Formats: sequence, structure tokens, C-alpha cells
Amino acid sequence: MKFKAFLTDNGVNLLDKRFLPALDKMGKICHLYLTRDHIYFLHNLLNGDGIQSIAQFRKEALFDEYRISSQNDDRISFAIDLSLLHRALHSIISIYTEFSATDNGVPGGNNAPNRIQIKLVKKLPPHSQQPMPFLTFETKGYKSAVIQDVPISKPLSRSDVLELQAALDMAQDLPQTLIQVPDMHQLQNFVDKMKNVGDVLNVSISKYGDLHLQVSTTLITLGAEFRKLSVVGEQAESPTDDQNLSAQSRTRITLQRGDAMTVLVSVKHFFRSLQCHQAKPDCAFYGIAQQGACLTVVFQFFIPGTHQTDKAISLHCRLPVLDPGSS
Amino acid sequence: MSSSAIEPESSDLVCQLDNVQGVVDALTSVRWKKQQDAVLELSEHGIVLIVEETACLQAKVYLQRELFVRYEYSAEGRPRFGVSLGLFVDCLNTFSVQGHSSAIEIRYPGPDMQLLLKSVDSSDSCTYAEIRTRIPDTISWDYNFEPAGSTPLSFTVKSAALKEAIDDLEWPGSSIHLILQPTPPSVTFRGEGHGDLQIDFMYHVNTDLLAAFHCDRQVSHRYKYKFLRATTSNIPSSVIRDNRGSKLTIGRGGMLKVQHLVSVAKPAMPQPHIDSAGYQQPSRIAYIEFFVKPEVDEDDANDT
Repeated sequence: MKFKAFLTDNGVNLLDKRFLPALDKMGKICHLYLTRDHIYFLHNLLNGDGIQSIAQFRKEALFDEYRISSQNDDRISFAIDLSLLHRALHSIISIYTEFSATDNGVPGGNNAPNRIQIKLVKKLPPHSQQPMPFLTFETKGYKSAVIQDVPISKPLSRSDVLELQAALDMAQDLPQTLIQVPDMHQLQNFVDKMKNVGDVLNVSISKYGDLHLQVSTTLITLGAEFRKLSVVGEQAESPTDDQNLSAQSRTRITLQRGDAMTVLVSVKHFFRSLQCHQAKPDCAFYGIAQQGACLTVVFQFFIPGTHQTDKAISLHCRLPVLDPGSS
Repeated sequence: MSSSAIEPESSDLVCQLDNVQGVVDALTSVRWKKQQDAVLELSEHGIVLIVEETACLQAKVYLQRELFVRYEYSAEGRPRFGVSLGLFVDCLNTFSVQGHSSAIEIRYPGPDMQLLLKSVDSSDSCTYAEIRTRIPDTISWDYNFEPAGSTPLSFTVKSAALKEAIDDLEWPGSSIHLILQPTPPSVTFRGEGHGDLQIDFMYHVNTDLLAAFHCDRQVSHRYKYKFLRATTSNIPSSVIRDNRGSKLTIGRGGMLKVQHLVSVAKPAMPQPHIDSAGYQQPSRIAYIEFFVKPEVDEDDANDT
């Protein structure tokens, strides 16, 4: 089982500034899953509860000279602590940029380009007889070489990797109707305040492009409705006779007509899904999976300077739905 | 469930606010613990919110009708109802969006005697809330504030300085003596407990700090620290920023009245030629009053 690659500058930027801070919010521990062409950061795919988050990168988005081999069809997966990974990467970057800056300052001073290498190793930790697996970063500083070892779990067994791959395939299903969140930041701000009022959030999404969020307890009902949002997938023309209705009545009628779906999710989960904003996506879409199995949020990334989807990067989350009885 | 069927005529009050954050600030200043029941009283002059604690501390927030863009009052008498203060403030807070002028409509009562709130500034997005109200308890203690004599016993101090002094008194804790004396004109806070701490505001030394002072005889009363602290613990940052003053008055029996002013002005364009006293839109001020009952024992509460 071998893995070795060099992080590109773009990869450094994507991970350090955008994805690791966002994914850390999803949960401290995730599975890093490496295949011949892709790198995945996966949260909660093997255990049922909690938000599932799937971040996928084509190898070129992060790495150069990407080499992987394993007896399991060149697939490797292990659990890793994201905050440790981020800290190690952050520290290695500070050494790396210091050296690169010096390098640029002296023309012809150093011919070997500086790079950050990442590889999988087994090492004897101090005071231990048992070799342990690590994900190791290595780079050169001005007068030093630095190695950062991030402890990881034992690599997943063949059957666990198969299970992970099956869960990943299952999680790729997209809802039939997706609506675009108008202003991520504003919504995050709103839901952050909503957290103080209740724990369970009712989310309704219609084919007309309406998003209705509501927290309801015995003492208070608090909600927000966003209308005329862009719809991707199955859509319908909004009836003209519902303009003067209240948000609650309108949603009830739309549900009766079969033009909307509704689910209950945890307010905290919903808020966490909005924190993926830190990965700086260009758009975000919410949708409810068939039979209301989960609430899905899909983030879209553009190729910089264009409005074309960057297919090398993708991120989506699946929020578990709550039993209506639990509200 | 539906709030669409309400006839406007059936409401005692329909009003509109254009600065939710200012009202959130004002109400937060009387929020000294997590669970607090508040009573709202509606009248043609505005809305008064009252909170109390164990018959020793009462706070009132006056939101006069001038603070509202629209104020339509059609009730007979003065409707009163109870809400959870925390829930009310948290709920109002969701309507306050940074960098947006968030206008909301408040309506009472809803079909099930709820307090209804809804945003009014956009046709494509709408925030709404229905807060369950309850029948208020009768006020347990009469907080009628009466002057202690023919001349008032009062002083006005910078709110920031008052808060700082009270925060500092946390260390000696338990109960705090408040002493006013005419010569030299000064205000003293003294805490005795885990050590002693005395804080003096001298009128002639720093007129900036102590803006006004009325006292013709020495008075001394003791107040529970936790109640004094409640009067300043949640002063909104805008009060400190606007460099406002707080007025403290001692009434009959040693009852202490603490008054703050909180701006509910619509966030104005920066006007560099107007100084920080913030006297633009002078009517857009919410008045906050606290009444603190003194600690009474046999050798105390004597006006000398």
C-alpha cells in the first residue's frame, strides 16, 4: 500500500484556505479516501447518524505526480483528524512560503523547485514498539527541512473500503428539484439566530422555487419564506392566486397540490451545512431527496473567471431527516 | 396555523418599526438572566415592557409611539399580556439583518391571542413569527417611586463609568453601600465582603464623568450587588459608543431608580459635523428604568 504525491499551489490554497476549515465544521474526524483519479473527504458515510458530507477532488485539482497503489484496486482509505491535518498543513505552508520567497529573491540561487510532498508512512512513534500509520508532509525551509506527521487510523480493510464505495455511490443521487440559495451569508445569519428559538427545522421546497423554513415550538412559531428562487430540475409555474396568502397557507396548499416536499431536520445540522460557505462555493442549492429521505445541499464551484462548473471539485451534504414525532 | 385570515380591524395594535436592532438592544438591557417573564402593556402612547425579580427589582422599557414608523392603536383600556423575554428578544433578533434596514410589522392579538411579527421590506422573502402570549401575573409589589423629600436626590453619570464601577464591585460582592453627600459633592459606592472596595465620583473633580448632581443632605442605602449589577450588565454597546449618561435617583425609603437612554434611531448616514452626543432624531430614544429596593435592616435606611 503506497501513496505519494506533491501538493500543487492551487491544492494548498484549496485545502488550507477553503476546504479544511469548512470540513472541520462538519466534524473533527473524516475518512480520507484515495482512488486512482480522485480524492474524497467523507463524513459519516459508514455510520448512520449525523450529516453526510462528500467533498470530491480530481487528483489534478490538488496534486502533481500522484502515485497510488494498493492490493485493493489502488484504493486506500483511513480516518483522519481534520484539525490536526489542517494544523500540520498550515505549519508546513509557512515554512514552504518562507523558502519560496527567498528562492525568488535570489535569481539562479536555487535550481531545485521547492515543493510540498505528501505520503503515507509507517513509523515507530516515541515510546512505542508498534509502528503506526501517518500521513506525512515534507518540505524544505530556508535552512531546514520540515516533516509533519499526522497520525491516521489503520487503513480500512478491503470490505470496509467496498462498503465506503457503496455508500458513496448511494450518496450521489440528486433530488429531482433543487433551488438556489439567494444569499448564503444572510441565510446563515438568520439560521444562526433561529438556533436560539428551537431545535427542529421544517424545510419545504417547491417546484415554483419557494424555500420555506420554520421552527415551531409550543411557545413560538418562527419562519422565513424565500420566493422565486432559481430552480434546477423538475419545476412548475407558480399559480397566480396564491400571492396574497401567508407563507404558511401557501406552503400548505402547495404541499396538497403535490408541488412541494417538506422534511424536518435539526437546526444545528442545517446551520452546519451553511458553514460549508467557508469553502467559498459560487452557488448553493437545496433539495429534498425522493420520499423525503434526506435534505441535500449541493455546492457548485466555477472555473475561476467563468460561469462554468469546475468539474474537478464537488461538495455536497446530506442532512438526516427527523421523525415527525420527535418535534 | 394560518395568519392570513386576520381582519385588520380586529387588532388592538398594528405598528411598524424600521430599526429592529435598536429595540433588540433596548430589550436586551433588561435581560439579566436566561428565563425571564415579561409583561407587555399597550397604550396609545406606546409599548411598555416590564420585568421583575423577587419583588426587589423591576425594570421597564418604554417604546413610545414616536419610535414606530406607523402606530395604529384601537384598543379600549390598556391590553396587557405576558411573554418570555428571552424568546421575544431572540425572535426579534432574527429580523435584524446586518447592513439591511429591516422593517417589521408587529400586530396584537392574533387569532389565538398571539403576538404576530412579520418583515415588510421585500416581496420575495418574508420572515414571520407568532409568539404565544399568556395572561400576566398581577404585579407582586408596588414600585411607585416617590421623591425622598422636597429636593431630589439624584446624579447623572456616564453610563460607561457606571458600568465599570459596578463591574469592579463584583469582587467584594454581596451588598453595596451607595452614599450621596453634599460636601464635598460626591457619590460613593462601597462594597464590603471579601475585602473592601470604595469607588468615589467627585462632582467638582470631574464634571465630565458626573454631569449633574443634586443632593442637600447625606444619604446612605445598601443594595444587593446582584440587583445593582442587573441594571448595567447588559447595557447595549450603542449607549457606550454614543457616550450617553445614566441618571440615578434615590426615592422614598431608599428605592433606587436607574435610567438609561438607548437610541432606536434608524442607522443614519455618517454625519461628521454632528458630534458624538447623537442628537439627531432626538425623539428616537427608548427609555429604560430600573427600580431597585434597598436592603433593609434595623440600623439601615436612615436618611441623616
